[in-house]
Amino acid sequence: MEHEPNPTAMIRSAFLMSRMPEAEPSPETLEIASLVRRIVSGDSAAFECVILRYERRVATLAMKLLGTKEDAQDAAQEVFLRAYKYLHRLDLQKPIEPWLVRMTVNVCKNIGRKRQRRLNTFSESETPDAYPADKSCDPYTEILEEQERQMLWKALNSLPEKERIAVTLRDIEGFSTAEVAAILESSESTVRSQVSRARVRMKDAIDQMMGGEK
Amino acid sequence: MSCVYSRETLALFIEDDLPMAQAERVRHHLSVCRNCQQICEQLQKSQSFVKARLKSPFHVTPSPELLNAVRQTVLLQIHDDRRTLGWGVKIERALMLAFRRHGYAFAGLAILVIISASLLGQMRHSLPEMHAAAVFEAKNMLLRPVRYREWVFVGSSIGLEYSASHATPTSWGRESFHNVYVNPAAYREYAKSGTFPEGTVMVLERVRSESKKEPGLQGIYEKEFIALEASVKDSSRFQGGWGFFDFTDPDGKVKAKTQALSDGSCRSCHEERAETDHVFTQFYPVLRSARMES
Repeated sequence: MEHEPNPTAMIRSAFLMSRMPEAEPSPETLEIASLVRRIVSGDSAAFECVILRYERRVATLAMKLLGTKEDAQDAAQEVFLRAYKYLHRLDLQKPIEPWLVRMTVNVCKNIGRKRQRRLNTFSESETPDAYPADKSCDPYTEILEEQERQMLWKALNSLPEKERIAVTLRDIEGFSTAEVAAILESSESTVRSQVSRARVRMKDAIDQMMGGEK
Repeated sequence: MSCVYSRETLALFIEDDLPMAQAERVRHHLSVCRNCQQICEQLQKSQSFVKARLKSPFHVTPSPELLNAVRQTVLLQIHDDRRTLGWGVKIERALMLAFRRHGYAFAGLAILVIISASLLGQMRHSLPEMHAAAVFEAKNMLLRPVRYREWVFVGSSIGLEYSASHATPTSWGRESFHNVYVNPAAYREYAKSGTFPEGTVMVLERVRSESKKEPGLQGIYEKEFIALEASVKDSSRFQGGWGFFDFTDPDGKVKAKTQALSDGSCRSCHEERAETDHVFTQFYPVLRSARMES
């Protein structure tokens, strides 16, 4: 397995930074700011560095929100194209990642709506395309877990869109309530309300699918 | 059902999502409420199950091929887009670079938008002047004038027709209205100097008339368009300075372009009977009054 930094931890620190305007920008923020200046001045090749740094983060989130590789690929492309177009609007004192995550969520919403996969948008597939599969378990456990995973995706997909996005960001992506509120440009109380309803619905759905309480 | 707190509140409590004071009250309640304790345990199991199955990065990881495809597509499009990036974005970027601060840049952009809108507004008035009213294809093939109804409407007549034979009216007879337009530049020049400049275009629309004779409603009105004709002043092309055109097909349809009429019947009539340089200003009160006012 390829070792890479924990993206959630990265973005968490980014959010913390973004809420402390008086704090010195992190080295990463300064590096990105330098890249952005180059890109806005016409050096579009520098944008490749930005893509390389955040492509996995954006594509992973898109896969979780949209459910298929094809949709996630379209979403990631759209996110980076939008980012390139509006990069000059980025506040260079703040980290870029929350901005990209917010854009990813918005693009995924649009794609979900456009394709009308479901009334509430997003994935129709029961489980996102897996890559690479975790081969560490024995075959029986692997099959069982895969079945459970599919069941959970189905339950998640049956949630209303706003609840699904909020609970995905909070419980699966691991963002704090404040971070989710910042991403969705909503209030913390609204996010709490959406997340709490989603958790209860998920529990009820699991109980129903399991034929009793889990 | 929980007794005091809803399941939603407990679902927040188990993940430390409640504000501190509220969380403390819930914690105190749980110490005395077995029912709520059970609900919390069930919710915790459900949450653990969800996280264990869905949180693992192994199961939702984009492949290197997918990432590569994204990167290549974006870079390719950006490369193409550098030239086609909208002017709005380019200006915004330039302002951002110049001012370095968003506030100043947006203020600059706003000023630029206001100036541009003002200039465009002024240009709209002069835009028709930028295009010749008469557009020719080949030597004497005139393209049907576009948007001539936005020109100056100089007058209308009904059944007014010179006839060489002094016979009964033609098939148009008294049944057709003649609506006449002139291009604005020619109108202004005529009003100023009394002469029609080179490039003057007069357009004549013929419209079938219909009469109403009903109790409480009488009179004649315009029904459907039946013909479109034009005359153009261009001394380099036409003998006598003016060319005459009929855009109407024998079956009544209006053509996109037409050759100048060669039989000379129009020209001779206009030469002999029109009051001002082949134009029947005697029948066009708008032109007469424009001349008088100037």
